Amino acid sequence: MSARGIPGIARPATTDLPVLLPIDPVKASGPDPYLLTRWLANIPLWVPALLALVVGLWPLAAQAAFTTGDAFSTLYRWLWFLTTKGFLFNVLISFFAMAIGTVLGAVLGLAQISLNPGVRMAAKFITQTFRNSPWLVLLYIVLLAFPFEIVIGDLIIPVPDWMKAVIGLSLPIMANIAEIVRGAVQSVPTAQWEASESLAFTRTQTLWRIILPQCFKRMIPPWMNWYAILTMATPLCSLLGVEELLTLTRQAMESAGNQPELLVPFYGFALLIFFAYCYPIARLTVRLERRFAVKL
Amino acid sequence: MKKVLALSAAMLMASASIATAAQCTNDTWKKVMSRGKMVVGVKADYKPWGFRDESGNLVGMEIDMAKAAADAMGVEVELVPVQSSNRMQFLEQGKIDLMIATMSDRPDRRKIVGIVQPNYYTSGTNVMSPKALGLTKWEDLRDKPVCGKQGAFYNKIVTERYGAKVIAFTGNAEAKQALRDKKCIAWVYDDSSIGSDLSSGNWDDFEMPLSSEDDNPWGLAVPLAEKDCVFGNFMSGLSYNWLQNGQLIEWEKKWGIKATSFLADKKERFKDWLDK
Repeated sequence: MSARGIPGIARPATTDLPVLLPIDPVKASGPDPYLLTRWLANIPLWVPALLALVVGLWPLAAQAAFTTGDAFSTLYRWLWFLTTKGFLFNVLISFFAMAIGTVLGAVLGLAQISLNPGVRMAAKFITQTFRNSPWLVLLYIVLLAFPFEIVIGDLIIPVPDWMKAVIGLSLPIMANIAEIVRGAVQSVPTAQWEASESLAFTRTQTLWRIILPQCFKRMIPPWMNWYAILTMATPLCSLLGVEELLTLTRQAMESAGNQPELLVPFYGFALLIFFAYCYPIARLTVRLERRFAVKL
Repeated sequence: MKKVLALSAAMLMASASIATAAQCTNDTWKKVMSRGKMVVGVKADYKPWGFRDESGNLVGMEIDMAKAAADAMGVEVELVPVQSSNRMQFLEQGKIDLMIATMSDRPDRRKIVGIVQPNYYTSGTNVMSPKALGLTKWEDLRDKPVCGKQGAFYNKIVTERYGAKVIAFTGNAEAKQALRDKKCIAWVYDDSSIGSDLSSGNWDDFEMPLSSEDDNPWGLAVPLAEKDCVFGNFMSGLSYNWLQNGQLIEWEKKWGIKATSFLADKKERFKDWLDK
C-alpha cells in the first residue's frame, strides 16, 4: 500500500463538493449524539433474557432462612402494583416531559435562528444553560422552589410532585430539542434558501413551507433518541421522593422486611421493564437514522 | 397612682390578649375543618410504623394514629408519604397539615416545626454487627467503615463522637447487603428496628452488642404557628389520651413491635388518680 493511501478508502476523502457519503454507524468523526441509543439498540435480545436467567439462578449469598425463592415470590406478589403504580408513572412523566420539551424546544430552536440578534442571543443562552446543567440540579430547583398548590381566589389548583418532576425534566429536553431543530434547519442546503428567495418567498414562508418540511423527517431519529434517554432518566425523581418505580421498589422491599436477598430480583425487574420499554424505541431510532441519513 | 396602675395593667392585659389572638390564626385547623379532610405526612418505608401492604395501601402504627386523629376531628384523612429529608419542609409549606413520621424530637427541629408534647414513642441508636467481630464499646467503631441510612441524625453523632466513617445508603436493604458483603463492620440504626431484624432469624451471625445511646423520644408535629393554638393543643390532648388509656400499647401490640418500657412508664405516670 502506498504511503498516501487511496482517498475515501484508506484515508478520509477530501473534497468540498457535495458528494454522497456512506452512513458512518460508529461515527468515527466527532462525538456521537446517539451513543446511548446505539448502545441500547446493539444489545442483542438474548442478553437481558440471559440476565433474567442468571438472576433467577442467583446462588444463595448466605445460609439464611429467607431464600431467593422467597424473594421471587415476594416480587411476584408486588409485580402488578409496581408496574401499574410505578412504571406507568415513569412513562407518564416521560410522556408529558417530552411533549412540553418538544413544544418549547421547537420555539427555542427557531428563536436561535432568528434574524433579531437579541432574540438569537437570548435563545442561545437559555439553550446552553439548560443543556449543560445537571438534570438532578434542575429537578431539585423545580421541586423545591415551586409551590405545592396554586391559589387563585377561591380556586385551589394542586401541583402534585410528579407534575413538578415533569416540568423539571422538560427543561433539559427543551434545550436539547432546540439544538435538534437548529441543527436540522442548518443541515438543509443553503441552495434551498437561495432558490426560495429567488422565487420571492418571504423568510417565514421559506421556513414553514420549504425548510421545515424537509427538517421534519431528519428530526425524528434524534427526537426519539432523546425520548429514550429521558425515559431512562425518570428514576432520578426517586431521589426526590416522587412516587415512581424506584421509590415504590424501595418501599416494597422495606415492606417485605428489607432482606438483602430482595435487592437483585427487585432492581433486576426494574432493569428489565425499562429495557423492554426502551429497546424497541432504540432499535427503531437507529433504523430511522439509517433511512433518513443526510447523504450530502 | 392606683388608678394609673390599674389602667396600665388593664392595657397590658388587653394588649396581651390581642397579641395571643393575633398569634393564633388557626389557619391549618380552619383549613382542615372547612375542606373536611386532613392531609397527614407519614412514612412509607419504615416497617411497621408506616409501610405499604401488597396492594399498595399505606398501613402501620402511625397510619392508625393518623386515622384516629382524623376520626377524632371528624374529617377524612389523606396520607402523603414523606421522607426524612423532606418531611419538615412539607409541613412548613403547608403541603401536609400534620406529620407523624418516626421523627425524633430534637431541639433544632423544634425551631422549624411544632413538635407536640407528650411524645408518643422512643428509640435509641445502636448497631448491628457480626458476632465474630465481638464489638463491646462504641469506641471500637473509630476509623472503621460503618453503614448507615441517609437522613438519620445519628450518622453525624457517630462520626463526631466516635470517629466512625459512615457510608450512608438510600435504603436499608442496600445498607444491610453492604454489611453482609463486609463493606462495613456495623450498621447503625434504631435499636427497635435492629431488634426486630435479629428476632426474624435471618441474622443469626449478627448481634446488637452496644448499649443504646441517645434514647430519643419521637414527636408528631403540627405547623409551628399552630403549636400553642387549637390544633397543637388538640393533638397534645389526643397524644396524652393515647398514652393514658393504653391505646398506643395496643397499636404496638397490633403491629408486632417489641414492647417498650417507654409506653408502659407513661401509662403508669399518667394513671387516673381515682383508678385503684
